[in-house]
Amino acid sequence: MIGLLQNLVDAASLGSLYALAALGVGLLFGILRLVNFAHGDFISIGAYALIVPSFEVTAQLFIGTWSWWLMIPTITLIVVIVALISDALVFRPLRRASAPTLMIASFAVSYVIQTGILLVYGARPKAANLWAGLDTPLMVGDVRVPLLQVITIVATLVLMAALTLFLKRTRYGTMMRAAAEDFRMAQYLGVRGDFVIGLAFAISGVLATAVSLLYLSQTGTLSPTMGVPLALFAFVATVIGGMGSLLGAVVGGFVVGVVVIMLQAYLPADLRAFRDAFAFTFVILILLVRPSGIIRTRALVERV
Amino acid sequence: MLEINDIHVTYGRLRALKGVSLSVRQGEIVCLIGPNGAGKSTTLAAVAGGVVPHRGTIVLDGKPLAAGRPEQTARLGLSLVPEGRHVFGTLTVAENLRVATYMRRDRAAVAADYERVLNLFPRLKERIGSPGGRLSGGEQQMLVIARALLTRPRLLLVDEPSLGLAPKIVDQVYEILLAARKAEGLTLLINEQSSHRILKHADRVYVIRNGHIRLHDDAAKLADGEAIKRAYFGFGDEPAAADEPEEEAA
Amino acid sequence: MTEPLVPHAARASLLRRYWPLLALCALISAIVAVGSLGSEQMQVTMTEMLIRLIVVVGIYLFIGNSGILSFGHIGFMCIGAYAAAWATVDPAWKQMMLTGLPDFLQQNQYGFLPAVAGGGLLAGLVALILGTAIMRLSGIAGSIATFAFLAIVNSVYSNWESVTAGTSSIIGVPNVVGPWVAWAFAIGALVLAFAFQVSRWGIMLRASRDDEVAAKSSAIGVVKVRLIAFVVSAVIAGVAGALYGHFLGILTADTFYLGMTFVTLAMLVVGGIGSLTGAVTGVLVVTLVVELLRHLEAGVPIAGSTVHLPQGSQEIGLGIVMALIMVFRPTGLTRSREVPWPFTRRARRRKMEVAPAR
Repeated sequence: MIGLLQNLVDAASLGSLYALAALGVGLLFGILRLVNFAHGDFISIGAYALIVPSFEVTAQLFIGTWSWWLMIPTITLIVVIVALISDALVFRPLRRASAPTLMIASFAVSYVIQTGILLVYGARPKAANLWAGLDTPLMVGDVRVPLLQVITIVATLVLMAALTLFLKRTRYGTMMRAAAEDFRMAQYLGVRGDFVIGLAFAISGVLATAVSLLYLSQTGTLSPTMGVPLALFAFVATVIGGMGSLLGAVVGGFVVGVVVIMLQAYLPADLRAFRDAFAFTFVILILLVRPSGIIRTRALVERV
Repeated sequence: MLEINDIHVTYGRLRALKGVSLSVRQGEIVCLIGPNGAGKSTTLAAVAGGVVPHRGTIVLDGKPLAAGRPEQTARLGLSLVPEGRHVFGTLTVAENLRVATYMRRDRAAVAADYERVLNLFPRLKERIGSPGGRLSGGEQQMLVIARALLTRPRLLLVDEPSLGLAPKIVDQVYEILLAARKAEGLTLLINEQSSHRILKHADRVYVIRNGHIRLHDDAAKLADGEAIKRAYFGFGDEPAAADEPEEEAA
Repeated sequence: MTEPLVPHAARASLLRRYWPLLALCALISAIVAVGSLGSEQMQVTMTEMLIRLIVVVGIYLFIGNSGILSFGHIGFMCIGAYAAAWATVDPAWKQMMLTGLPDFLQQNQYGFLPAVAGGGLLAGLVALILGTAIMRLSGIAGSIATFAFLAIVNSVYSNWESVTAGTSSIIGVPNVVGPWVAWAFAIGALVLAFAFQVSRWGIMLRASRDDEVAAKSSAIGVVKVRLIAFVVSAVIAGVAGALYGHFLGILTADTFYLGMTFVTLAMLVVGGIGSLTGAVTGVLVVTLVVELLRHLEAGVPIAGSTVHLPQGSQEIGLGIVMALIMVFRPTGLTRSREVPWPFTRRARRRKMEVAPAR
């Protein structure tokens, strides 16, 4: 029983990360019909921006040593700028391109960013210790809950609430929802397409930064391809949730988190190395049962 | 006010417009009629910036419009009500209307316009909090017209306002369009498939078929409908004009 | 220009029908013939290019005809490569390192051709199972599922120590693939892909690509035809993997992951996704670009000193080329058309060029 509770806490914390990543992916998909492979690499950039560029195996924190109120905005700014640049250089010239073309383009952006990281920081994984103090466990009854997991879950809830308020209560949010539903019609009404898309890239950059920081402080390792499985799980979460729905992306993120943690906990030891393979297989199976996802909608944010 | 000069539009290999020219003068109601797939919607979309002509120019108030920039065209006072209504189904009626005002700088006037337009459409006022997708077809048509009016257009393009609506509702739609025209000093360019209703209201009529304008005259001179019928169905065309086999425009 | 002298109109039209295939095969053969006179390094580059050509043609067979993007074909290449290596590696080594292999593989050593066939078959079998599952998905969800498949294959082959030797790689795969062997398989792949595309299935699939609703309403079993294309293209990718293993002599799962996926997709995009000519053109052009960048990375003497491009310029350079093509020539260098028939008067040729893309 306690073991199960412990696993559920782990699942909620991991699911939060996937849900945040999936929100970033889902937002861009909703507005641009872009499956953004580079989202994982935005996450990597957020993590690598914390450390001193070098080929050393142990990463030395640079921006990472700043106090959090200065560090978080700085890293966010860096990731947002990278996201906006990739839009301006690659995706903006491809506005009229088909969905497969956009997908290939984002795959190329992703691979180029990975190569860029490799050029500056080397190919080997690095260890980094961000927010070491947050490992302290809190005891809730008999369940050990690391403070970091609490922070992860709370940060995710806060970000989700903020995003919902933004989308529902502000004029820019309303524009984004309109554009997600019928991009051309929104343009006919004077909504600037490039602006809305830029905004979506910026927000997905903010969400990616949150994942970078939380993920790095949980795992303590960096590698040029660290974002790939995150992006992949995020895609999978958006597909399970029903593509184009943000609520679906969140639900999908948590489903994936639960699946991964349960596999980790209950797979026989010699199969645990194949955890991700099992998780993806499971997802393909879910899609067989519900090809259009758990939630079917055209809306970016559901009406409650 | 609006001058379309010899525009050509192709979708892939399909030639939708093969040199369409048309003009609308300040204060007029001009109607473009033609069968399904003749190029009516494409013409309006090209004017609004939704499709890019590969040849020809579109001039508004003496200034050429940048092709393929719908959001800029909207800022110049040209609004399109596209075919098939295009309500934002998950946004409320109020939000649908508000989206149209975001580009406007005159915040004070926006509030007044909002009230005024809602008074034109009492039905929308009742349903202000419902999602657009839950409205009936007629209500949705009202909503998209109201929404277009809130962009404060000088020239309103309306693509098949009667499509899929009961005749009684269509009468209401036209009443509202005419009332709005009177109140706002609008110029109107309307697409329709059939001529019988529009001939009463229009100043001038163009008939389009197969991507070409086949006929153009004052509405009064076409009142008996004979000339329109001939142009519409292509009777009496010289064979050269009906040459290439054509796919239907989407 | 005059019409060529041909005895029978029928023969001319047959020739014209197969003209793109003949032209491409002739081009590849000419390149190999000339290249085989070159240096050792040239032979190696050419062999690698030909193997990539096979993969790209295989991927084209699915993507080009169905219009669905697949990121998973390099996974099939991986499956084919390992399966063939299991057959041809020295049994003594296998008994020591690959303890999880079934006896018939572990105890015996098979010839090169049966091994290649086995690699293709296993890839095809996996594609049949996977395809049955994902061909029903919409285009985008299907593409994501293929990407998940690539990740699954990579994860399994990197971690399954007892049959893949995991991170320590399989060594001692016989180095039997040179330019002419690769050439023979490349010609085979071209013939197969062309035959598929002009077959009834190919035409049906292209119809479904251009308009799925219409294709469905005319009672075409779209999903079934897609599945056939998926399996055939996976077999080709598996064969290419088997060849690649017997070209490299050593196998690591990461050889068949994102990098290879990127290069092969880049080739397809650069040449033009919608035609076999595009696939071939893309392979040739991208190989040239990559070789050029590789030379620059190695360093060129300029004015007495050696100038290097940094490592990684290949990938970044290729990314830029790809982006430029997508923006300025979205249908690729060939505009996704086949090699035009050269013996037609101008006015008629224009119509001929249009036809295959329909």
